[in-house]
Amino acid sequence: METKITYFRNKLAITQEQLAEIVGVTRQTIISLEQNRYNPSLLLAHKITKALRQKYIEEVFVL
Amino acid sequence: MIGKPEWFRRRKYTGWGFTPVTWQGWVYVFVMVLPIILLANLYKVSQAWLGFVIVWAVVFCVDFIHIVSHLPKDERDRMHEAIAERNALWAIVAVLAVGVAYQAASVAVSQDMTKVDPVILVAIFAGLIAKAVSNIYLDKKD
Repeated sequence: METKITYFRNKLAITQEQLAEIVGVTRQTIISLEQNRYNPSLLLAHKITKALRQKYIEEVFVL
Repeated sequence: MIGKPEWFRRRKYTGWGFTPVTWQGWVYVFVMVLPIILLANLYKVSQAWLGFVIVWAVVFCVDFIHIVSHLPKDERDRMHEAIAERNALWAIVAVLAVGVAYQAASVAVSQDMTKVDPVILVAIFAGLIAKAVSNIYLDKKD
């Protein structure tokens, strides 16, 4: 699964650390997600989508 | 509880337990372990001191379990921990199974039942029960 977390995060000008804090995970998890190395749970994908101010999960996470 | 989980992180590479990540964590470890170190180095130990250390050790164990079970972990950490613990368990079971097989072979040769270590059998049986109970609980929960 590919993610557009880096794109939307840069657009909002927030750091990996800040995003990690907002969604309640470690920075290492955000790094893994951005590098498409980890598939998140539906709950985490939903939280990240909200944190990145997007409406649909598919906008951030692409199969 | 005495120690706070946020003072520590999960020990990943050097066994089980926790590793202090704040100065409070280091102070906690020092203060909790100090009476036990003193006990080991005292020449004569009074009954009162021994009683105190036993109570102290029980408090430390309870607090340790509380800290370890509440360490800050996200879903990725939990998944990694679960896989690592499973692999560790497989290694332990493999060694125990080889031990039982060796002892069974010794019994067959010598007809001496005392060569079977009951602790190994109990350990394997306890693991079996823990796995079954966990699966029953998880099936009902999710």
